[in-house]
Amino acid sequence: MEMFAGLLVSALLLGCTYTLIAVGFSLFFGVMDVVVFCCGDIAIFGAFSIMGAYVVLMSAGLFNTLPFIVCVALLLLIGALFCATLGLVAYRFSIKPFSHSSELMPLLSTIALGTVIKEVLGLMFMPAVNASASAFGGEAALKVVSGRNPQGFPELLFPNGGVNLRYVTIICVTVLLLLLLFIFLNKTKMGLSMQAVSQNKELSMMTGINVSRTIVVTFIIGGVMLAIGGFLVGSYQKIMSFDNGAMYGAKGFSAAVVGGLRNTWGAVIGGMLLAFVEVFVAGYVANGAAYAGVVAFVVVVIFIIFKPEGIIGEKTVEKV
Amino acid sequence: MKLKRTIPSIFKLPEPILIVLCNILIFGLAFAMLRLSYQYSLACVAITIAVLLLMDIKGYINHLFSLYIRHKKIAFFSALLCLLVLPILLAGLRYESHIAIMALIYAMVCLGLNFQMGSTNMVNFAPAAFMGIGAYSMAVVTVKLGASAWLGLGMALVLCAFAGLLIGLPTLRTKGYYLSLVTMALQLAFTQMIKNIASVGGPNGISDIKAFSIAGHSLYKSYTLPLLGKVAPHFFYLYFCSILLIVLIYVALRIYVSRYGLALNTIAQDEIAANCLGVDVSRQKLLAFVLGGLFCGVGGALYAGLTSFVGPNDFTFSRSLVYICMVILGGMDNPLGVVVGAFLLTVVMEKLREFADYAQLVYALLLVIILIVRPSGLIPKRVRDYCALFNRRPQQEIEEK
Repeated sequence: MEMFAGLLVSALLLGCTYTLIAVGFSLFFGVMDVVVFCCGDIAIFGAFSIMGAYVVLMSAGLFNTLPFIVCVALLLLIGALFCATLGLVAYRFSIKPFSHSSELMPLLSTIALGTVIKEVLGLMFMPAVNASASAFGGEAALKVVSGRNPQGFPELLFPNGGVNLRYVTIICVTVLLLLLLFIFLNKTKMGLSMQAVSQNKELSMMTGINVSRTIVVTFIIGGVMLAIGGFLVGSYQKIMSFDNGAMYGAKGFSAAVVGGLRNTWGAVIGGMLLAFVEVFVAGYVANGAAYAGVVAFVVVVIFIIFKPEGIIGEKTVEKV
Repeated sequence: MKLKRTIPSIFKLPEPILIVLCNILIFGLAFAMLRLSYQYSLACVAITIAVLLLMDIKGYINHLFSLYIRHKKIAFFSALLCLLVLPILLAGLRYESHIAIMALIYAMVCLGLNFQMGSTNMVNFAPAAFMGIGAYSMAVVTVKLGASAWLGLGMALVLCAFAGLLIGLPTLRTKGYYLSLVTMALQLAFTQMIKNIASVGGPNGISDIKAFSIAGHSLYKSYTLPLLGKVAPHFFYLYFCSILLIVLIYVALRIYVSRYGLALNTIAQDEIAANCLGVDVSRQKLLAFVLGGLFCGVGGALYAGLTSFVGPNDFTFSRSLVYICMVILGGMDNPLGVVVGAFLLTVVMEKLREFADYAQLVYALLLVIILIVRPSGLIPKRVRDYCALFNRRPQQEIEEK
């Protein structure tokens, strides 16, 4: 029973990280009708920029002068800024040029852009904090390692509190973020126009919605979601590697597909489902840990074959 | 006759001589790229790309193609002669021969990928996985079972065709993104599986794979030949791969100009319309995957025979991206263009070994740039000459009718 509870918690946590990335996918897919495959890499980039900013703030001594929570907020803000910019770059250079060509072009170009992001991280990211360095340590154990090595993510969520407190925070932040997104999408004018663009671009243009601005705002919001997703991934895994992006991207997209690509709540359900499958296979099947990732993909393939519209997606019938 | 008006006056040579000169020029360039140090070699690559683009803008490339088709026997045999001379020029050079063989193997994989990506517009993100299946079946058959490499090749073909069938089945119900996700899932799952299965070596891979041999003579061995002296071990393997590539190019072109190739293109244009025209969409899609799998399998088996070692790192997702990049650079749906793309990128990849850290970055940037600037590739697909390529009669006769 204890094992079950432990698995449940870790499945929830993993589900939270998948969910945020999947939400990014479904937001982008909604407004642009393209799959932005570099979502995972953008999230990892967010995590790395937070790590980099942490080192800079640390060496500037800000952690000793400002309250800890302000510093963490500052770091999150920096990460969100980087990711939003990156989201806009992705839109400008790998999606917009292909808006009139085959749907597979943006797929390829965003994958290529994801690789560019990944490789830039691997090549350029130099400063790193030793994993054991606590945020409160007077002398931060600064160590320069190459970006290609796995990096220790700084403990920014209650470094003095227990593990449980951190886990609860991760879940709470995810829920809060999803609630905010829900309110934004349904209660504000911008959110409503995002939904309108998602449903019918031409018609929303005719009703006076500024479509291009809506798209830009979507990419900024998606970028912010991904940055926080990356932050949570880092806080949960504690060790980050520059090439995690492709895996998280594939998992996030899989979650979005399982849930229903156009639907934001589908992304939540899909993310949780995938995480539960993975964690419980790893926990209960003999030698399952090695095959957890494979099983998750098998689930996705089964879904694609038998229920391609996802759990709560609506079935689209192609018209000639 | 049309030709003389459109091609500048320096080319007013008799057509057969023009073709032979052209072939010598192409193979000379290839040799230069292989032989020279990396600065000059890359300069050659850049010049080739520039010339190809210029020729395409001016329309010369179409004339060149029709010239080749008009005199296909001369074109074929002079190209064959050049291809047979190339290994002799590279006889003592180990590394250069190695690059040449890699280029040939990658060209095979890209030809296979082209059936799916180019002809049918289904982006397959798993060519490296198919290649891996081929390479691993070769490794298992020769090392674990102790059988001959030929049996390994046969096993690779069977397993790859089966894998193609298996991955082709979901494609019958899906398309577009979903299909790409299925192939991507297969690719990621393949790498994880290989790493985790202990009986195929896990992360350490399998080493000491037997090379191909004919009547007891290994094809991958340093022989002392008359006239040439001691040749690099790659000498005969290069011939072997060249012959296989010629066969595969022939098969690919044959399929490309046949009804099947046409049907694949119809599916790429519009699946519903293809269905209405009586194309058996599901059969054709399966065919594309099985054929592609076979080609990749041959490439994988040859790769295992060359390096005599297979490990999971040679068949990752990023490798698949490289193959996709090759196909797009060369020109989707143009078998010859794909071969050119594979050769150019292989040379770039191997010559820049010292800067291997940047290789992935270069590929990805290149892919973005090609997609934005010139999505049709260096040698774009031409207007189909439905019966010109393999028809016995000269083209003029057909045109007159």
